[in-house]
Amino acid sequence: MEHTVKFENQSFGKGLGTMLKVDFRRMRKSKLFYILIACALLIPVIMTVMLTMMDGTESKNPQTGEITIMEGPESVWESIGTLPSDEPAPEQRGDAAMGGMGAMGGMDVMAMCNINMMFMLAAVFVCLFISDDFRSGFSKNLFTVRAKKGNYVISKTIAGFVCGALLLIAYFAGALLGGAVSGLSFALVGGLTVINIVLCMLAKIFLMLVFVSIFVIVSVAAKQRAWLSICGSLGAGMLLFMMVGMITPLNSTLLNLLLCGAGGALFAIGLGTFSRLILRKAALI
Amino acid sequence: MNAIEIKNLSKNFGQKQAVCGLNMTVPLGAIYGFIGENGSGKSTTEKMICGLIPKSDGTIRLYGKDHTDPDVRAKVGVLIETPGCFPGLTVWDNLMLQAANLGIRDAEIEVIRVLKTVRREGAAGNKYKNCSLGMKQRVGIAMALLGAPTLLVLDEPLNGLDADGMRIMREVFTDVVKDGTRSIVVSSHLLGELQKVATHYGIIRHGKMIREMTAAELDADCRTFTALQSGEMSRTKALLCCKYSRVEEDEAGYLRVYDGVTPEEIVVYLYDNGICVSEIRTDKIGLEEYYIDLMKEGK
Repeated sequence: MEHTVKFENQSFGKGLGTMLKVDFRRMRKSKLFYILIACALLIPVIMTVMLTMMDGTESKNPQTGEITIMEGPESVWESIGTLPSDEPAPEQRGDAAMGGMGAMGGMDVMAMCNINMMFMLAAVFVCLFISDDFRSGFSKNLFTVRAKKGNYVISKTIAGFVCGALLLIAYFAGALLGGAVSGLSFALVGGLTVINIVLCMLAKIFLMLVFVSIFVIVSVAAKQRAWLSICGSLGAGMLLFMMVGMITPLNSTLLNLLLCGAGGALFAIGLGTFSRLILRKAALI
Repeated sequence: MNAIEIKNLSKNFGQKQAVCGLNMTVPLGAIYGFIGENGSGKSTTEKMICGLIPKSDGTIRLYGKDHTDPDVRAKVGVLIETPGCFPGLTVWDNLMLQAANLGIRDAEIEVIRVLKTVRREGAAGNKYKNCSLGMKQRVGIAMALLGAPTLLVLDEPLNGLDADGMRIMREVFTDVVKDGTRSIVVSSHLLGELQKVATHYGIIRHGKMIREMTAAELDADCRTFTALQSGEMSRTKALLCCKYSRVEEDEAGYLRVYDGVTPEEIVVYLYDNGICVSEIRTDKIGLEEYYIDLMKEGK
């Protein structure tokens, strides 16, 4: 033991930096992270190609004899958000109210697998990422030494947010790729501009912070019980899921962005404080 | 100044009192053997020392400061229950993560040093989940040694180690405390191994410290006995039991007489009864027997 070990100065910023370094190193080495990114990239490609192929297919209800014609997506942007329409059809108005799950009709396949689903995938990542700390016993090493509980919560929130943002970006890229493969229209109709789409994506990314804050507090409370944190996070996420499409429509403006940004900041600070309180008061293992 | 000073420490889990009014002192440079039955409160005490679970009452001071002080907490290395490694990562990655967590500047050099210390340089590239139990323990100890902590809290660090592993760990422990400024708290059920390195002992029962002593005090407290073997062990035992109050047969097949009699007395007594003693010696009981006696007294 005849040697000197040099440590970084542990100010708040350095402490947080150290923790972030650990979390991002873990994220980089985590298979789960790459699997989720691959899912985010592949789901829109598969869904778009599949639904385009099924476009115009007739299906007959064996009981009523009613014939339904399957409608595929018309535009690439349908998997990102609601297409703006001056005169939405009555049933489409209902869709928009349900969170803008696409103008294709109710809870259809595309609506279930649109970009908003990434908020649920982020839940899986955050819950497993945090519960792994407690299950492996890494949290013991972490909290015994230099880690501050506040830093831990901030770091996990940032890591979860970055992962969530990357999932959204991967889905967006997948949707573009799927649209290109299926030959869907990239046309911006109904006054839609590229800026609207960029703002829509940014708003969704900021909104991710709201969801991640919820997932972090649930995971911190559940600790090593991953199943409990996943169920809790998905449950809480589902309650807010419907509002995602409403707050982040395809024709988002700066107001949407501000709303999501403010919501994200408030949730992150508020729930982060509660998460820290849970860590301070409860056992850390 | 002591490395650890605990006064009236208590911990309640609902109605159950896991630790009640525990006092404990670990001097600088000590290897403190923390002994107790399963569920006696050893791990709970260690977790409270490390700040992993909040205490219900009492004070814990590390190097004269409250145990929550970040400066003293930075000096603690732990191995409690599991090494705290991610199974999917390699040993190297796990150690690098902990080095980053500690804020060590030359992390790679430090990781190589601790791996060398536990004689596992070649295991760096192995995935943690593929390591044997003994290897995992060594990695756990290496992790605890990262950053050269001044206080090591190790819960059952010798579990799963082979004979060579245990010898290496003894060397590591002795090396850590040799400058007299570092201390180690080791809880273990392998009392024979613990006795080879420990300089101080604390025996806990039902959450209370029932005895704290140095190795010299333990040695003075340990009773002597006479161990013998003869051609007719069952008859010898029967004869000895008639005359002496405590006669027991040990694992090696020797009869032990604990009554403080000289070997000569026993040899003469048995010879008078027609038994020839083939081997006889006097010895002292070890930590294990001392501990068992103490537990029996308590019951």
